[in-house]
Amino acid sequence: MQAANDALQVYQKPEPVQGNALCTICPIHAVTACRKVAILFKAIGNAPIMKQNLYKINAQNQFRAVIRFLRKQLGYNPQDALFTYINLSFAPAPDDTVLNLHKSFASDGALIVNYSTTVAWG
Amino acid sequence: MSTYAPRHHAPSAFSTPASTTLFRRLTWEGTVPLEIRVDSKELPANSDRGLECYYMQAPRVSYLPLIIPEIKRFLMDVVFDEAGARVIKEEDWWFESEEGSLLKWHWPIGLIYDSHTIASTLRPNTSSIQITPLRLILHLASPPTDKLLLSPSADACKQAFMGQLKEADFIRWGNTKRMTGLRKAEQDGLWEGIREHNFEEYWRVAAKVTPTTTPTRSGSPPPPSSTSMHTRPPSADPGSTAAPDRDGAYSVRSVPVRIYLPDGPVLQDLVPPTLEDGTVHTLAKYLAVHLPLLFPAGKPPLAYALLQGVHAPSDAEMAWLGACMAGADGWVNICVGILRDSHHRF
Repeated sequence: MQAANDALQVYQKPEPVQGNALCTICPIHAVTACRKVAILFKAIGNAPIMKQNLYKINAQNQFRAVIRFLRKQLGYNPQDALFTYINLSFAPAPDDTVLNLHKSFASDGALIVNYSTTVAWG
Repeated sequence: MSTYAPRHHAPSAFSTPASTTLFRRLTWEGTVPLEIRVDSKELPANSDRGLECYYMQAPRVSYLPLIIPEIKRFLMDVVFDEAGARVIKEEDWWFESEEGSLLKWHWPIGLIYDSHTIASTLRPNTSSIQITPLRLILHLASPPTDKLLLSPSADACKQAFMGQLKEADFIRWGNTKRMTGLRKAEQDGLWEGIREHNFEEYWRVAAKVTPTTTPTRSGSPPPPSSTSMHTRPPSADPGSTAAPDRDGAYSVRSVPVRIYLPDGPVLQDLVPPTLEDGTVHTLAKYLAVHLPLLFPAGKPPLAYALLQGVHAPSDAEMAWLGACMAGADGWVNICVGILRDSHHRF
């Protein structure tokens, strides 16, 4: 029981224990070694285009933090409609972590987030 | 479409391997006991106190917004008086576990139950967790909207559900063509199947996007034509008996799998059906690689894997789990509980 609890604490800790130690302990966390991952924002339809659209974001963030960040960059109020998608395909759950999404869906090292002011892929 | 059989003929029983249908049926019919108690501080005046507790068996594949109408009917009929019923706004409702964690609208109820079960393995004196209902507190006011992530409406839940199905589709094939190839009425049929808890209605459409389990390895004979008639549109089948089964469970790029640890986090990674050395990927291998501290190679495990409420055997193949034990949203949810020192499951 104690050993199991110790193991859990390693997996629950977002930061590497010592340098890259976590990579060998828990490969599923390997990306946390660099801790920040690249996100490429791409507008769809009438959505405003961002001058800078490539950002590094903490991999432990939930996807809703990405949405919040995007709204701020676009100067959108909470009531302004904004829909976000991965790879022109689907809207992830807001509590998916950037780490999980990046591991499964990144291409050329960046997670592509499309954004639209109308529903694009309901 | 001509391949649709009438609902009452139970088409899936005849066109998909019997064991696949059996496990899909068992997964679908799984229910969990819930005890829902209204927060007594929030009951309207003149409510009939002492009756504010409601018990139900909820389908694992369902969602909290879908059980609200039943709870509301009970409260309106039995607990609230007329004045109280008028002031109740169900858009302000939200659920909390007995331990004070918020319950998410967009998680399948079975996942909520299993994640609670594994969290309780961390706490002492919870040996009888399996037989007691999950105790939920229903709040009638002041929802912490920021933390709940979604509005409590069935429509918002449907959008999240469709998003999960498409994400699972992308994980499997690298695109969402199977999901986007469905007509609007078919996509709606998936959700209606959940809403009405109708196995046939759901699987009539889901069979078009879920991998088949027809064996394709080791030179098995091609499936009888009736199989492909039901599991995919005829137009998608080139008709060549020699071609590998491109809709098969072992042809996917990756199986949609998430690991839930007690009190978080949720882990997700690509899960190929076969490993680089050509061997079939199993639950034991997957857990040993991703959680080596809990499932150490060559030693007794410190934890166990719970799938759809069942202690999953460690030699279960990941591809098979994806085709037969996934939730209605397409995802295989592996909840990892901590073993007490006294008993080892594997």
